[in-house]
Amino acid sequence: MGALLKSEWRKLIYARAHWGLLIGAILVAGLGTAVTPVILDNPDSGFGLGLDQTQAVDAVYANAISGYFFAIIIGIMLMSGEFRHGTAVATFLTAPKRGTVLATKLAIAAIGGMLVMVIATAAGLAAGWIALSFFPDAASPTNEVFINTLLAAVVSGAILGIVGVALGTLIRNQMLAITGALIYLFVIDPILLALAPDAGKYLPVGLITAMLALDIDAPEFGIDTSAYLPPLTATVVLLGYGAVFAGLAIATSLRRDIE
Amino acid sequence: MTTAIAISGLVKTYGKQNAVDNLTANIAKGRITGFLGPNGAGKSTALRCLVGLAAPTSGSATIFDKRYRDLDNPLSKVGTVLDSRGFHPALTGKQNLRVVAAAAGIPDSRVDEVLEMVELKDAAGKRMKNYSLGMKQRLALAGAILGDPEILILDEPANGLDPAGIAWLRKFLRKLAEGGRTILVSSHQLAEMQNTVDDVIIINKGKLIASGSMKEVIGDGSLEDAFLALTGGEL
Ligand SMILES: Nc1ncnc2c1ncn2[C@@H]1O[C@H](COP(=O)(O)OP(=O)(O)O)[C@@H](O)[C@H]1O
Ligand SMILES: [Mg+2]
Repeated sequence: MGALLKSEWRKLIYARAHWGLLIGAILVAGLGTAVTPVILDNPDSGFGLGLDQTQAVDAVYANAISGYFFAIIIGIMLMSGEFRHGTAVATFLTAPKRGTVLATKLAIAAIGGMLVMVIATAAGLAAGWIALSFFPDAASPTNEVFINTLLAAVVSGAILGIVGVALGTLIRNQMLAITGALIYLFVIDPILLALAPDAGKYLPVGLITAMLALDIDAPEFGIDTSAYLPPLTATVVLLGYGAVFAGLAIATSLRRDIE
Repeated sequence: MTTAIAISGLVKTYGKQNAVDNLTANIAKGRITGFLGPNGAGKSTALRCLVGLAAPTSGSATIFDKRYRDLDNPLSKVGTVLDSRGFHPALTGKQNLRVVAAAAGIPDSRVDEVLEMVELKDAAGKRMKNYSLGMKQRLALAGAILGDPEILILDEPANGLDPAGIAWLRKFLRKLAEGGRTILVSSHQLAEMQNTVDDVIIINKGKLIASGSMKEVIGDGSLEDAFLALTGGEL
C-alpha cells in the first residue's frame, strides 16, 4: 500500500495538467473573492447587503471556496486519465489487485483535492482581505468565517476528489466525465436546489454552502442559508456521498476488462 | 521441460465472436517462444487474458501455476509489453518509469539503469509524446525489465520499427534470453521471427493450428510456407 501511495502521488505531481488545475483554482478563488466587495458596494446591485454589515463581509470571504469544482476535476483526471492514455495497463500489470489500486487512488485524490482546495481557498481569503482593504467602511468579519471556510475547503476538497475518481471510473471518457460534472455542479444542482429546496439541500452544492455556516438570509445574493442543513450534518452527508461514490468506483472497476 | 506458462482451454468471446477459441498451449521455461498468427488471430487477446487485464470467458492461463493476479509483486517475475504501452504522453520517459518503479517497490536507481540498457539515457528527460515509435517501444521494454523478471511477455515488439530498430530488438532479446529467461513474443511477421525463436505457437482465428519447436513445425521449409500449408493458403 505504501508503494502504491508513492506511485499514485507521483502521478499526481508529475503531470503538469494538475499544476494547471491548482493555478486555475487559485485564480477562480482569488478573483471570485476579490470582486465580491466591488459588487456588494455598488448601490445599484440591489443585493440588500452592504459592506458595513458583518454578514456581507463574511459572505465575501466565504466566496474563497468557489474553486471547489477543481477538486472534482483532479479526481476525474487521475482516474479517467488512466484509460485515456492507457496507463491503466501499466498500473494494473504492476498491481493486479484492482481494489487496492482504487483505494490508493481514492486516497491520493482526496489528498490532492484537499491540497488544491486549501491552497486556493487560502489564496481567496487573502485576495478578499486585500480587496476589502480598499473599503475603509467595511465591517470586520467574524473569526468563524475563516475557520468554517477552511474546514469546508478541506472536507469538500477531499470528498470531491473521491467523487471525481468514482466518476472517472464509471465514465471512462475524460471529457465526458468533466463536462458532465461541471454541468451537474453549475446547472443541474442549482436548478434542483431552487425547484425543490427540501431535497436540494442534500445535494453537493447545497452541502458545501451549508458547511460555510453563514448566518445570513439573503436569497437575492444566492445564499439563503436558513434553508440549509446544519454544518456538521452537511459534513456528514457529504462524507456519505464520498463513501457511496468510492464504493461504486470499487465495485465497477473491479470487473471490466482493461484495454 | 519445465512449463513456465500454461494456457488451458482458453476462450474469450466478444459478442458472438470467439477472439480466442479453446486455446491450449505450454510455454517452456528458459526458451524463446514465438506466438504467431495473422492480424486479428487473437494473439493480443490471449496475452491480455494471461496477464489478467481481460477476464477469460472460460479456461485459464497461468504463470508457474498461478494466475497473474495471484503473483505477489508480479513485476519481479513477469515483464510485459502490450500493444497499448501504458505510458502517459505528458510525462517524461523517466517519470513514466518512476511511477511504475514506485508501485513495484523498485528503487529509482534501477530506472536509470534500464534506461541505459535500452539506450534511452539521453532522451530520459523528454516527454514521452515526443518519442519516436522506436523510442516508445524501447521505453516499454525498459518498463518490462524494471523488475528483472525471469519471464517476458512481448506483444508485437517489432511493430512499426525500422530495420535498424528490429536488428536492435533481436540483439536485445538474445541478450535477455542468454540469461536463461523465458520469452513469449508475439508477431504477425512470420519471416521475421524465424531466426529469433526456439519454439512456436501458431494460431489463426483464435484457434491453435500448430505448436512445437521451430524445427518440428517448419521442417525444411520456411515459417511462412508452414503457415500457408497449415491454414490452407489464407493469410
Ligand atoms: N475489446 C474488444 N472488443 C471486441 N472485439 C475485440 C476486442 N479486442 C479484440 N477484438 C477482436 O478479437 C479478434 C482478435 O483480436 P486480437 O487479439 O487483437 O488479434 P491479434 O492481436 O492477433 O491481431 C479480432 O477480430 C478483434 O477485432
Ligand atoms: Mg495484436
